[in-house]
Amino acid sequence: MHHCVHRLTRRHCLKLLTAAMAAGLLPAWPGFAADSMPWQKPIGNSNNTLPVIGMGTWRTFNVGSDRQLLAARTELVKAFFALGGGLIDSSPMYGSAPDVMGYALAQLGKADSLFAAEKIWSPAGGSAREQVADLQRRWNIAQFNLLQVHNLTDWREHLAVLRELKAAGKVGYIGITTSHGRRHAEVEQIMAAEDIDFVQLTYNIAQRDAEQRLLPLAAEKGIAVIANRPYNGGSLIKNLKRRGERIPGWAAEYGCNSWAEFLLKFIVSHPAVTCAIPATTQLAHLQENMRAGLNPMPAAAARQQMARFIEAL
Amino acid sequence: MTSYASYQLQDFVPFSAEVYFRLLERISESWWPLHVLSLALGIAAVVLALKNRGRLACLLIAPVWAFVALVFFRQHYAQLNWAANYIAYAFFAQAILLLLPALTGFGLSKSAAATMPGRGAVAIAMGGAIAVTGLIVQPLIALMGASGWQVQVFGIHADPTAITTLGLVLMLLRGWRVWLLAAIPLIWLLLSGLTLWVLQATAAWLLFVVLAAALSACVLLCRFLSAAGRTR
Ligand SMILES: NC(=O)c1ccc[n+]([C@@H]2O[C@H](COP(=O)([O-])OP(=O)(O)OC[C@H]3O[C@@H](n4cnc5c(N)ncnc54)[C@H](OP(=O)(O)O)[C@@H]3O)[C@@H](O)[C@H]2O)c1
Repeated sequence: MHHCVHRLTRRHCLKLLTAAMAAGLLPAWPGFAADSMPWQKPIGNSNNTLPVIGMGTWRTFNVGSDRQLLAARTELVKAFFALGGGLIDSSPMYGSAPDVMGYALAQLGKADSLFAAEKIWSPAGGSAREQVADLQRRWNIAQFNLLQVHNLTDWREHLAVLRELKAAGKVGYIGITTSHGRRHAEVEQIMAAEDIDFVQLTYNIAQRDAEQRLLPLAAEKGIAVIANRPYNGGSLIKNLKRRGERIPGWAAEYGCNSWAEFLLKFIVSHPAVTCAIPATTQLAHLQENMRAGLNPMPAAAARQQMARFIEAL
Repeated sequence: MTSYASYQLQDFVPFSAEVYFRLLERISESWWPLHVLSLALGIAAVVLALKNRGRLACLLIAPVWAFVALVFFRQHYAQLNWAANYIAYAFFAQAILLLLPALTGFGLSKSAAATMPGRGAVAIAMGGAIAVTGLIVQPLIALMGASGWQVQVFGIHADPTAITTLGLVLMLLRGWRVWLLAAIPLIWLLLSGLTLWVLQATAAWLLFVVLAAALSACVLLCRFLSAAGRTR
Protein backbone atom coordinates (compact mmCIF):
# COMPACT_ATOMS: atom_id res chain seq x y z
CA MET A 1 0.00 0.00 0.00
CA HIS A 2 0.97 3.58 -0.46
CA HIS A 3 1.76 4.80 2.98
CA CYS A 4 4.27 7.21 4.45
CA VAL A 5 6.23 7.97 1.34
CA HIS A 6 8.45 10.38 3.16
CA ARG A 7 11.90 9.80 1.82
CA LEU A 8 13.06 13.32 1.19
CA THR A 9 14.27 13.61 -2.35
CA ARG A 10 15.72 16.69 -4.00
CA ARG A 11 12.56 16.87 -6.12
CA HIS A 12 10.42 16.73 -3.01
CA CYS A 13 12.46 19.57 -1.48
CA LEU A 14 12.00 21.74 -4.51
CA LYS A 15 8.30 20.95 -4.67
CA LEU A 16 7.87 21.91 -1.02
CA LEU A 17 9.92 25.04 -1.50
CA THR A 18 7.81 26.13 -4.44
CA ALA A 19 4.65 25.43 -2.47
CA ALA A 20 5.97 27.43 0.47
CA MET A 21 6.77 30.35 -1.81
CA ALA A 22 3.32 30.13 -3.33
CA ALA A 23 1.81 30.16 0.15
CA GLY A 24 3.68 33.40 0.82
CA LEU A 25 5.41 31.91 3.83
CA LEU A 26 9.03 32.37 2.96
CA PRO A 27 9.46 36.08 3.58
CA ALA A 28 8.88 35.39 7.27
CA TRP A 29 11.82 32.99 7.17
CA PRO A 30 15.04 34.79 6.41
CA GLY A 31 17.78 32.39 5.55
CA PHE A 32 15.39 29.77 4.25
CA ALA A 33 17.11 27.67 1.63
CA ALA A 34 16.33 24.56 -0.36
CA ASP A 35 18.55 22.49 1.89
CA SER A 36 16.79 23.69 5.04
CA MET A 37 13.74 21.50 4.93
CA PRO A 38 12.40 19.83 8.09
CA TRP A 39 14.49 17.09 9.52
CA GLN A 40 13.02 13.64 8.91
CA LYS A 41 13.41 10.65 11.16
CA PRO A 42 12.89 7.00 10.32
CA ILE A 43 9.67 5.36 11.46
CA GLY A 44 10.93 2.70 13.83
CA ASN A 45 13.29 0.39 12.01
CA SER A 46 11.77 1.02 8.60
CA ASN A 47 13.19 3.04 5.73
CA ASN A 48 10.21 5.35 5.72
CA THR A 49 10.58 8.70 7.42
CA LEU A 50 8.46 11.42 8.97
CA PRO A 51 9.15 15.15 9.35
CA VAL A 52 9.91 15.70 13.03
CA ILE A 53 7.24 18.35 13.46
CA GLY A 54 3.66 17.21 12.93
CA MET A 55 0.41 18.81 14.00
CA GLY A 56 -2.23 18.00 16.63
CA THR A 57 -5.90 18.93 16.27
CA TRP A 58 -7.31 18.69 19.84
CA ARG A 59 -9.39 21.85 20.43
CA THR A 60 -7.76 23.77 17.60
CA PHE A 61 -9.58 22.02 14.72
CA ASN A 62 -12.95 21.56 16.40
CA VAL A 63 -14.72 24.47 14.69
CA GLY A 64 -17.92 22.76 13.55
CA SER A 65 -19.52 24.17 10.41
CA ASP A 66 -18.27 27.71 11.02
CA ARG A 67 -17.31 28.88 7.51
CA GLN A 68 -14.98 31.60 8.68
CA LEU A 69 -13.04 29.26 10.97
CA LEU A 70 -13.11 26.42 8.40
CA ALA A 71 -11.36 28.75 5.97
CA ALA A 72 -8.82 29.75 8.62
CA ARG A 73 -7.99 26.12 9.49
CA THR A 74 -7.71 25.27 5.79
CA GLU A 75 -5.07 28.01 5.48
CA LEU A 76 -3.26 26.45 8.43
CA VAL A 77 -3.21 23.01 6.80
CA LYS A 78 -2.03 24.56 3.54
CA ALA A 79 0.84 26.28 5.33
CA PHE A 80 1.67 23.11 7.25
CA PHE A 81 2.19 21.16 4.04
CA ALA A 82 3.94 24.05 2.35
CA LEU A 83 6.44 24.06 5.19
CA GLY A 84 7.10 20.35 4.83
CA GLY A 85 4.72 19.04 7.48
CA GLY A 86 3.63 15.41 7.46
CA LEU A 87 1.79 13.87 10.39
CA ILE A 88 -1.61 15.24 11.41
CA ASP A 89 -3.17 13.61 14.47
CA SER A 90 -6.86 13.56 15.31
CA SER A 91 -9.45 11.50 17.16
CA PRO A 92 -13.19 10.84 17.25
CA MET A 93 -12.94 12.47 20.69
CA TYR A 94 -12.06 15.83 19.12
CA GLY A 95 -15.57 16.83 18.04
CA SER A 96 -15.64 18.05 14.47
CA ALA A 97 -11.82 17.99 13.99
CA PRO A 98 -11.92 14.99 11.59
CA ASP A 99 -14.63 16.74 9.52
CA VAL A 100 -12.61 19.94 9.49
CA MET A 101 -9.60 17.98 8.22
CA GLY A 102 -11.86 16.51 5.55
CA TYR A 103 -13.00 19.98 4.56
CA ALA A 104 -9.43 21.28 4.36
CA LEU A 105 -8.23 18.30 2.32
CA ALA A 106 -11.17 18.63 -0.06
CA GLN A 107 -10.24 22.30 -0.62
CA LEU A 108 -6.51 21.72 -0.92
CA GLY A 109 -6.30 18.28 -2.45
CA LYS A 110 -4.48 15.54 -0.60
CA ALA A 111 -0.84 16.47 -0.09
CA ASP A 112 1.77 13.82 -0.88
CA SER A 113 3.38 14.38 2.48
CA LEU A 114 0.18 13.84 4.52
CA PHE A 115 0.60 11.16 7.14
CA ALA A 116 -2.93 10.85 8.50
CA ALA A 117 -3.09 9.55 12.07
CA GLU A 118 -6.43 8.71 13.67
CA LYS A 119 -7.64 6.90 16.75
CA ILE A 120 -10.19 4.37 17.89
CA TRP A 121 -11.93 5.59 21.01
CA SER A 122 -14.55 3.39 22.66
CA PRO A 123 -16.86 6.14 23.99
CA ALA A 124 -17.40 7.32 20.40
CA GLY A 125 -19.54 4.18 19.92
CA GLY A 126 -19.63 1.57 17.19
CA SER A 127 -17.09 -1.13 16.47
CA ALA A 128 -13.47 -0.33 15.62
CA ARG A 129 -14.15 -1.07 11.94
CA GLU A 130 -17.19 1.20 11.95
CA GLN A 131 -15.16 3.97 13.55
CA VAL A 132 -12.42 3.62 10.94
CA ALA A 133 -14.92 3.69 8.07
CA ASP A 134 -16.66 6.72 9.56
CA LEU A 135 -13.37 8.56 10.12
CA GLN A 136 -12.17 7.84 6.57
CA ARG A 137 -15.41 9.35 5.27
CA ARG A 138 -15.02 12.36 7.56
CA TRP A 139 -11.39 12.97 6.56
CA ASN A 140 -12.33 12.39 2.95
CA ILE A 141 -9.44 9.96 2.42
CA ALA A 142 -9.25 6.33 1.31
CA GLN A 143 -7.22 5.14 4.26
CA PHE A 144 -5.15 6.24 7.21
CA ASN A 145 -1.41 5.91 7.58
CA LEU A 146 -1.70 5.26 11.30
CA LEU A 147 -4.50 4.04 13.54
CA GLN A 148 -4.03 4.23 17.30
CA VAL A 149 -6.03 3.01 20.26
CA HIS A 150 -6.89 6.24 22.06
CA ASN A 151 -5.97 6.28 25.75
CA LEU A 152 -5.85 2.48 25.82
CA THR A 153 -9.66 2.18 25.74
CA ASP A 154 -10.49 -1.52 25.24
CA TRP A 155 -7.01 -1.85 23.78
CA ARG A 156 -7.00 -5.66 23.53
CA GLU A 157 -10.12 -5.79 21.33
CA HIS A 158 -9.19 -2.73 19.28
CA LEU A 159 -5.57 -3.74 18.70
CA ALA A 160 -6.73 -7.13 17.44
CA VAL A 161 -8.93 -5.42 14.84
CA LEU A 162 -6.22 -2.93 13.90
CA ARG A 163 -3.82 -5.80 13.37
CA GLU A 164 -6.29 -7.41 10.96
CA LEU A 165 -6.69 -4.12 9.10
CA LYS A 166 -2.93 -3.80 8.81
CA ALA A 167 -2.56 -7.36 7.55
CA ALA A 168 -5.22 -6.61 4.93
CA GLY A 169 -3.29 -3.53 3.82
CA LYS A 170 -6.02 -1.18 5.01
CA VAL A 171 -3.73 0.86 7.25
CA GLY A 172 0.00 1.46 7.26
CA TYR A 173 0.81 1.40 10.93
CA ILE A 174 -0.90 0.76 14.24
CA GLY A 175 -0.27 1.96 17.76
CA ILE A 176 -1.55 3.11 21.13
CA THR A 177 -1.78 6.47 22.86
CA THR A 178 -1.65 7.88 26.33
CA SER A 179 -1.01 11.37 27.68
CA HIS A 180 -0.26 13.40 30.81
CA GLY A 181 1.98 10.55 32.05
CA ARG A 182 -1.05 8.31 32.62
CA ARG A 183 -0.84 4.50 32.82
CA HIS A 184 2.80 4.24 31.85
CA ALA A 185 3.17 0.82 33.45
CA GLU A 186 0.40 -0.56 31.24
CA VAL A 187 1.80 1.21 28.18
CA GLU A 188 5.15 -0.39 28.91
CA GLN A 189 3.58 -3.85 29.11
CA ILE A 190 1.81 -3.36 25.79
CA MET A 191 4.97 -2.08 24.13
CA ALA A 192 6.89 -5.06 25.42
CA ALA A 193 4.32 -7.73 24.59
CA GLU A 194 2.38 -6.51 21.55
CA ASP A 195 3.40 -5.94 17.99
CA ILE A 196 2.83 -2.20 17.55
CA ASP A 197 4.52 0.35 15.30
CA PHE A 198 3.78 3.57 17.18
CA VAL A 199 3.32 4.79 20.70
CA GLN A 200 1.99 8.28 21.40
CA LEU A 201 2.72 9.78 24.80
CA THR A 202 3.29 13.09 26.52
CA TYR A 203 6.90 14.16 26.44
CA ASN A 204 8.10 17.72 26.84
CA ILE A 205 10.79 19.61 28.71
CA ALA A 206 8.58 19.94 31.79
CA GLN A 207 7.18 16.41 31.73
CA ARG A 208 9.95 13.91 31.18
CA ASP A 209 8.67 10.70 32.87
CA ALA A 210 8.83 8.88 29.53
CA GLU A 211 12.63 9.16 29.58
CA GLN A 212 12.79 6.60 32.37
CA ARG A 213 11.40 3.50 30.71
CA LEU A 214 9.13 4.14 27.73
CA LEU A 215 11.56 5.97 25.43
CA PRO A 216 14.40 3.47 25.96
CA LEU A 217 11.97 0.61 25.37
CA ALA A 218 10.66 2.25 22.20
CA ALA A 219 14.23 2.61 20.91
CA GLU A 220 15.02 -0.97 21.78
CA LYS A 221 11.91 -2.36 20.08
CA GLY A 222 11.95 -0.02 17.08
CA ILE A 223 8.62 1.57 18.02
CA ALA A 224 8.13 5.05 16.61
CA VAL A 225 7.25 7.71 19.22
CA ILE A 226 4.85 10.63 18.77
CA ALA A 227 5.27 13.24 21.50
CA ASN A 228 1.90 14.82 22.31
CA ARG A 229 1.31 17.94 24.42
CA PRO A 230 4.74 19.31 23.49
CA TYR A 231 3.82 22.61 25.17
CA ASN A 232 1.97 20.91 28.03
CA GLY A 233 -1.31 21.95 26.47
CA GLY A 234 0.01 25.45 25.71
CA SER A 235 0.78 26.65 29.23
CA LEU A 236 4.51 25.96 28.88
CA ILE A 237 5.15 28.22 25.91
CA LYS A 238 2.47 30.78 26.68
CA ASN A 239 3.86 31.34 30.20
CA LEU A 240 7.42 31.71 28.92
CA LYS A 241 6.25 34.21 26.32
CA ARG A 242 3.95 36.11 28.70
CA ARG A 243 6.68 36.46 31.30
CA GLY A 244 9.01 37.73 28.61
CA GLU A 245 11.62 35.11 29.50
CA ARG A 246 14.70 35.38 27.30
CA ILE A 247 16.05 32.43 25.38
CA PRO A 248 19.61 31.76 26.59
CA GLY A 249 22.25 32.96 24.15
CA TRP A 250 24.00 29.58 24.00
CA ALA A 251 20.85 27.96 22.56
CA ALA A 252 21.29 29.91 19.30
CA GLU A 253 24.02 27.41 18.43
CA TYR A 254 21.27 24.80 18.05
CA GLY A 255 19.04 27.11 16.06
CA CYS A 256 16.85 28.06 19.04
CA ASN A 257 15.84 31.63 18.34
CA SER A 258 12.29 31.33 19.66
CA TRP A 259 10.72 29.46 22.57
CA ALA A 260 8.94 27.24 20.06
CA GLU A 261 12.29 26.15 18.65
CA PHE A 262 13.79 25.70 22.10
CA LEU A 263 10.93 23.55 23.40
CA LEU A 264 10.30 21.49 20.27
CA LYS A 265 13.95 20.89 19.41
CA PHE A 266 14.43 19.57 22.93
CA ILE A 267 11.72 16.97 22.26
CA VAL A 268 12.54 15.85 18.75
CA SER A 269 16.27 15.65 19.36
CA HIS A 270 15.68 12.80 21.80
CA PRO A 271 16.94 9.79 19.83
CA ALA A 272 13.82 7.74 20.54
CA VAL A 273 11.30 10.44 19.55
CA THR A 274 10.06 10.37 15.97
CA CYS A 275 8.00 13.55 15.95
CA ALA A 276 6.21 16.11 18.10
CA ILE A 277 2.68 17.29 17.31
CA PRO A 278 2.03 20.83 18.56
CA ALA A 279 -1.52 22.08 17.97
CA THR A 280 -2.23 25.68 17.04
CA THR A 281 -4.87 28.01 15.63
CA GLN A 282 -2.36 30.70 14.61
CA LEU A 283 -0.44 30.84 11.36
CA ALA A 284 2.45 32.69 13.03
CA HIS A 285 2.68 29.97 15.68
CA LEU A 286 2.61 27.26 13.03
CA GLN A 287 5.50 28.93 11.22
CA GLU A 288 7.49 29.12 14.46
CA ASN A 289 6.71 25.49 15.24
CA MET A 290 7.68 24.25 11.79
CA ARG A 291 10.95 26.12 11.99
CA ALA A 292 11.84 23.95 14.97
CA GLY A 293 12.13 21.03 12.58
CA LEU A 294 15.15 22.53 10.86
CA ASN A 295 18.69 21.52 11.72
CA PRO A 296 20.85 22.06 13.75
CA MET A 297 19.57 20.08 16.70
CA PRO A 298 20.98 19.89 20.23
CA ALA A 299 22.94 16.79 21.19
CA ALA A 300 22.72 14.95 24.52
CA ALA A 301 24.80 17.39 26.58
CA ALA A 302 22.98 20.41 25.18
CA ARG A 303 19.64 18.77 25.90
CA GLN A 304 20.65 18.39 29.56
CA GLN A 305 21.63 22.05 29.65
CA MET A 306 18.26 23.02 28.17
CA ALA A 307 16.36 20.97 30.75
CA ARG A 308 18.40 22.48 33.61
CA PHE A 309 17.76 25.96 32.27
CA ILE A 310 13.97 25.45 32.29
CA GLU A 311 14.06 23.82 35.74
CA ALA A 312 15.91 26.84 37.11
CA LEU A 313 13.32 29.34 35.83
CA MET B 1 0.94 10.61 38.83
CA THR B 2 -2.28 8.69 39.48
CA SER B 3 -4.53 8.19 36.52
CA TYR B 4 -7.59 10.07 37.70
CA ALA B 5 -5.85 12.85 39.62
CA SER B 6 -4.19 13.88 36.37
CA TYR B 7 -7.51 14.72 34.71
CA GLN B 8 -8.27 18.39 34.61
CA LEU B 9 -11.43 20.26 33.72
CA GLN B 10 -9.73 21.36 30.49
CA ASP B 11 -9.66 17.75 29.32
CA PHE B 12 -13.45 17.82 29.05
CA VAL B 13 -13.83 20.98 26.97
CA PRO B 14 -12.87 20.11 23.39
CA PHE B 15 -13.14 23.58 21.84
CA SER B 16 -11.65 27.04 22.25
CA ALA B 17 -13.34 30.20 23.52
CA GLU B 18 -13.26 31.69 20.03
CA VAL B 19 -15.18 28.73 18.62
CA TYR B 20 -17.75 28.72 21.43
CA PHE B 21 -18.54 32.42 21.11
CA ARG B 22 -18.73 32.10 17.33
CA LEU B 23 -21.20 29.26 17.91
CA LEU B 24 -23.45 31.53 20.01
CA GLU B 25 -23.13 34.17 17.33
CA ARG B 26 -24.00 31.82 14.47
CA ILE B 27 -27.08 30.51 16.27
CA SER B 28 -28.22 34.10 16.83
CA GLU B 29 -27.66 35.03 13.21
CA SER B 30 -29.48 32.02 11.84
CA TRP B 31 -32.60 32.45 14.00
CA TRP B 32 -33.02 36.21 14.01
CA PRO B 33 -35.69 37.67 14.48
CA LEU B 34 -37.10 34.75 16.47
CA HIS B 35 -35.43 36.35 19.50
CA VAL B 36 -38.22 38.92 19.67
CA LEU B 37 -40.87 36.22 19.95
CA SER B 38 -38.95 34.07 22.44
CA LEU B 39 -38.20 37.07 24.63
CA ALA B 40 -41.88 38.07 24.52
CA LEU B 41 -42.79 34.52 25.56
CA GLY B 42 -40.38 34.69 28.48
CA ILE B 43 -41.70 38.06 29.65
CA ALA B 44 -45.29 36.81 29.30
CA ALA B 45 -44.43 33.74 31.39
CA VAL B 46 -43.03 35.91 34.21
CA VAL B 47 -46.10 38.18 34.15
CA LEU B 48 -48.39 35.12 34.25
CA ALA B 49 -46.38 33.70 37.17
CA LEU B 50 -46.85 36.96 39.07
CA LYS B 51 -50.59 36.74 38.41
CA ASN B 52 -50.65 33.17 39.74
CA ARG B 53 -51.40 31.71 36.29
CA GLY B 54 -48.68 29.08 36.70
CA ARG B 55 -50.18 26.48 34.38
CA LEU B 56 -50.17 28.84 31.43
CA ALA B 57 -46.67 30.08 32.26
CA CYS B 58 -45.34 26.50 32.22
CA LEU B 59 -47.21 25.78 29.01
CA LEU B 60 -45.49 28.73 27.34
CA ILE B 61 -41.97 27.70 28.26
CA ALA B 62 -42.16 23.91 27.75
CA PRO B 63 -41.83 24.14 23.94
CA VAL B 64 -38.97 26.61 24.37
CA TRP B 65 -36.94 23.84 26.06
CA ALA B 66 -37.68 21.43 23.23
CA PHE B 67 -36.59 24.09 20.73
CA VAL B 68 -33.31 24.74 22.57
CA ALA B 69 -32.70 20.98 22.79
CA LEU B 70 -33.12 20.62 19.07
CA VAL B 71 -31.50 23.77 17.73
CA PHE B 72 -28.91 24.79 20.31
CA PHE B 73 -27.72 21.33 21.34
CA ARG B 74 -28.43 18.89 18.54
CA GLN B 75 -27.97 21.13 15.53
CA HIS B 76 -25.11 23.28 16.77
CA TYR B 77 -23.39 22.35 20.02
CA ALA B 78 -23.20 18.65 19.07
CA GLN B 79 -20.84 19.58 16.23
CA LEU B 80 -18.30 20.57 18.85
CA ASN B 81 -19.01 18.10 21.63
CA TRP B 82 -20.65 14.70 21.24
CA ALA B 83 -21.90 14.98 24.84
CA ALA B 84 -24.31 17.72 23.68
CA ASN B 85 -26.58 14.99 22.29
CA TYR B 86 -27.11 13.73 25.82
CA ILE B 87 -27.71 17.22 27.13
CA ALA B 88 -30.32 17.60 24.39
CA TYR B 89 -32.17 14.61 25.89
CA ALA B 90 -32.09 16.33 29.27
CA PHE B 91 -33.55 19.50 27.74
CA PHE B 92 -36.31 17.46 26.07
CA ALA B 93 -36.97 15.83 29.44
CA GLN B 94 -37.29 19.29 31.01
CA ALA B 95 -39.86 20.23 28.35
CA ILE B 96 -41.91 17.20 29.38
CA LEU B 97 -41.44 17.97 33.08
CA LEU B 98 -42.77 21.47 32.47
CA LEU B 99 -45.86 20.00 30.83
CA LEU B 100 -46.70 18.27 34.12
CA PRO B 101 -47.64 21.45 36.02
CA ALA B 102 -48.97 22.95 32.79
CA LEU B 103 -51.46 20.15 32.21
CA THR B 104 -52.21 18.92 35.73
CA GLY B 105 -51.26 21.75 38.08
CA PHE B 106 -48.70 19.40 39.67
CA GLY B 107 -46.68 21.14 42.38
CA LEU B 108 -48.02 24.62 41.68
CA SER B 109 -48.56 26.94 44.62
CA LYS B 110 -52.15 27.77 45.49
CA SER B 111 -51.44 31.26 46.69
CA ALA B 112 -50.33 34.11 44.48
CA ALA B 113 -46.61 34.66 44.58
CA ALA B 114 -46.98 38.19 45.91
CA THR B 115 -48.92 37.00 48.96
CA MET B 116 -46.41 34.43 50.28
CA PRO B 117 -45.29 35.05 53.83
CA GLY B 118 -41.80 35.03 55.33
CA ARG B 119 -39.07 32.85 53.88
CA GLY B 120 -41.33 31.80 51.03
CA ALA B 121 -41.69 35.41 49.96
CA VAL B 122 -37.92 35.87 50.02
CA ALA B 123 -37.43 32.78 47.86
CA ILE B 124 -40.09 33.93 45.42
CA ALA B 125 -38.57 37.39 45.20
CA MET B 126 -35.26 35.68 44.45
CA GLY B 127 -37.04 33.66 41.76
CA GLY B 128 -38.35 36.87 40.19
CA ALA B 129 -34.91 38.43 40.26
CA ILE B 130 -33.39 35.32 38.68
CA ALA B 131 -36.02 35.27 35.93
CA VAL B 132 -35.35 38.94 35.15
CA THR B 133 -31.61 38.18 35.13
CA GLY B 134 -32.14 35.53 32.47
CA LEU B 135 -34.42 37.71 30.37
CA ILE B 136 -32.75 41.10 30.62
CA VAL B 137 -29.70 41.41 32.88
CA GLN B 138 -27.58 38.68 31.29
CA PRO B 139 -28.10 39.99 27.73
CA LEU B 140 -27.34 43.54 28.90
CA ILE B 141 -24.11 42.50 30.63
CA ALA B 142 -23.09 40.53 27.53
CA LEU B 143 -23.81 43.56 25.32
CA MET B 144 -21.18 45.51 27.23
CA GLY B 145 -18.41 43.07 26.40
CA ALA B 146 -19.32 41.37 23.15
CA SER B 147 -20.65 41.91 19.69
CA GLY B 148 -24.46 42.06 19.41
CA TRP B 149 -24.79 38.61 17.90
CA GLN B 150 -22.92 37.03 20.80
CA VAL B 151 -25.63 38.14 23.22
CA GLN B 152 -27.54 35.12 24.46
CA VAL B 153 -31.31 35.28 24.45
CA PHE B 154 -34.00 33.31 26.29
CA GLY B 155 -35.47 30.63 24.06
CA ILE B 156 -32.57 30.69 21.60
CA HIS B 157 -29.57 29.95 23.82
CA ALA B 158 -29.29 27.53 26.70
CA ASP B 159 -27.98 29.73 29.54
CA PRO B 160 -30.72 32.41 29.61
CA THR B 161 -33.34 29.72 29.04
CA ALA B 162 -32.11 27.80 32.08
CA ILE B 163 -31.78 30.95 34.23
CA THR B 164 -35.25 32.30 33.39
CA THR B 165 -36.85 28.89 33.88
CA LEU B 166 -35.17 28.50 37.26
CA GLY B 167 -36.64 31.84 38.28
CA LEU B 168 -40.10 30.77 37.14
CA VAL B 169 -39.87 27.43 38.92
CA LEU B 170 -38.98 29.24 42.14
CA MET B 171 -41.89 31.61 41.68
CA LEU B 172 -44.42 28.89 40.91
CA LEU B 173 -43.62 25.60 42.62
CA ARG B 174 -43.42 24.44 46.21
CA GLY B 175 -41.79 21.63 48.18
CA TRP B 176 -39.79 18.79 46.66
CA ARG B 177 -41.34 19.48 43.27
CA VAL B 178 -39.15 22.57 43.11
CA TRP B 179 -36.11 20.26 43.03
CA LEU B 180 -37.70 18.09 40.37
CA LEU B 181 -38.16 20.99 37.98
CA ALA B 182 -35.03 22.88 39.01
CA ALA B 183 -32.59 19.97 38.73
CA ILE B 184 -31.93 20.08 34.99
CA PRO B 185 -31.55 23.88 34.76
CA LEU B 186 -29.26 23.80 37.83
CA ILE B 187 -27.08 21.03 36.38
CA TRP B 188 -26.86 22.83 33.05
CA LEU B 189 -25.82 26.09 34.75
CA LEU B 190 -23.10 24.21 36.61
CA LEU B 191 -21.81 22.58 33.40
CA SER B 192 -22.02 25.80 31.44
CA GLY B 193 -20.35 27.79 34.23
CA LEU B 194 -17.47 25.30 34.38
CA THR B 195 -17.13 25.38 30.58
CA LEU B 196 -16.94 29.18 30.56
CA TRP B 197 -14.48 29.05 33.43
CA VAL B 198 -12.19 26.70 31.46
CA LEU B 199 -12.54 29.05 28.49
CA GLN B 200 -11.52 31.89 30.84
CA ALA B 201 -14.71 33.79 30.04
CA THR B 202 -15.78 36.31 32.67
CA ALA B 203 -19.43 35.38 32.02
CA ALA B 204 -18.82 32.27 34.16
CA TRP B 205 -19.19 34.24 37.38
CA LEU B 206 -22.78 35.29 36.56
CA LEU B 207 -23.77 31.65 36.14
CA PHE B 208 -22.17 30.70 39.46
CA VAL B 209 -23.91 33.60 41.26
CA VAL B 210 -27.28 32.55 39.80
CA LEU B 211 -26.56 28.94 40.69
CA ALA B 212 -25.79 29.83 44.31
CA ALA B 213 -28.85 32.08 44.59
CA ALA B 214 -31.15 29.49 43.02
CA LEU B 215 -29.85 26.71 45.25
CA SER B 216 -30.44 28.81 48.40
CA ALA B 217 -33.94 29.73 47.19
CA CYS B 218 -34.72 26.04 46.50
CA VAL B 219 -33.68 25.17 50.07
CA LEU B 220 -35.79 28.00 51.48
CA LEU B 221 -38.84 26.90 49.50
CA CYS B 222 -38.47 23.29 50.61
CA ARG B 223 -38.30 24.40 54.22
CA PHE B 224 -41.30 26.61 53.59
CA LEU B 225 -43.28 23.52 52.64
CA SER B 226 -42.76 21.91 56.03
CA ALA B 227 -43.70 25.16 57.79
CA ALA B 228 -46.68 26.22 55.74
CA GLY B 229 -46.86 23.68 52.94
CA ARG B 230 -49.96 23.96 50.88
CA THR B 231 -49.68 22.58 47.41
CA ARG B 232 -52.25 21.19 45.14
N1 LIG C 1 -4.29 10.74 24.58
C1 LIG C 1 -4.01 11.26 23.42
O1 LIG C 1 -4.03 10.58 22.42
C2 LIG C 1 -3.65 12.71 23.33
C3 LIG C 1 -3.70 13.52 24.46
C4 LIG C 1 -3.31 14.85 24.35
C5 LIG C 1 -2.93 15.36 23.12
N2 LIG C 1 -2.92 14.57 22.00
C6 LIG C 1 -2.53 15.09 20.68
O2 LIG C 1 -1.41 15.93 20.85
C7 LIG C 1 -1.66 17.21 20.29
C8 LIG C 1 -0.91 18.29 21.02
O3 LIG C 1 -1.33 18.40 22.36
P1 LIG C 1 -2.24 19.60 22.89
O4 LIG C 1 -2.98 20.18 21.75
O5 LIG C 1 -3.03 19.10 24.03
O6 LIG C 1 -1.21 20.64 23.49
P2 LIG C 1 0.06 21.44 22.95
O7 LIG C 1 0.32 21.14 21.52
O8 LIG C 1 1.14 21.21 23.94
O9 LIG C 1 -0.41 22.95 23.11
C9 LIG C 1 -1.38 23.50 22.29
C10 LIG C 1 -1.51 24.96 22.64
O10 LIG C 1 -0.26 25.59 22.43
C11 LIG C 1 -0.45 26.83 21.80
N3 LIG C 1 0.66 27.05 20.86
C12 LIG C 1 1.04 26.24 19.83
N4 LIG C 1 2.12 26.76 19.22
C13 LIG C 1 2.44 27.91 19.87
C14 LIG C 1 3.45 28.89 19.71
N5 LIG C 1 4.38 28.77 18.76
N6 LIG C 1 3.44 29.94 20.55
C15 LIG C 1 2.51 30.06 21.52
N7 LIG C 1 1.54 29.16 21.73
C16 LIG C 1 1.50 28.09 20.90
C17 LIG C 1 -1.75 26.74 21.05
O11 LIG C 1 -2.42 27.99 21.13
P3 LIG C 1 -2.57 28.90 19.79
O12 LIG C 1 -3.76 28.36 19.09
O13 LIG C 1 -2.74 30.27 20.34
O14 LIG C 1 -1.31 28.73 19.01
C18 LIG C 1 -2.52 25.68 21.83
O15 LIG C 1 -3.42 26.28 22.72
C19 LIG C 1 -3.19 17.33 20.40
O16 LIG C 1 -3.71 18.35 19.58
C20 LIG C 1 -3.61 15.94 20.03
O17 LIG C 1 -3.62 15.76 18.63
C21 LIG C 1 -3.27 13.25 22.10
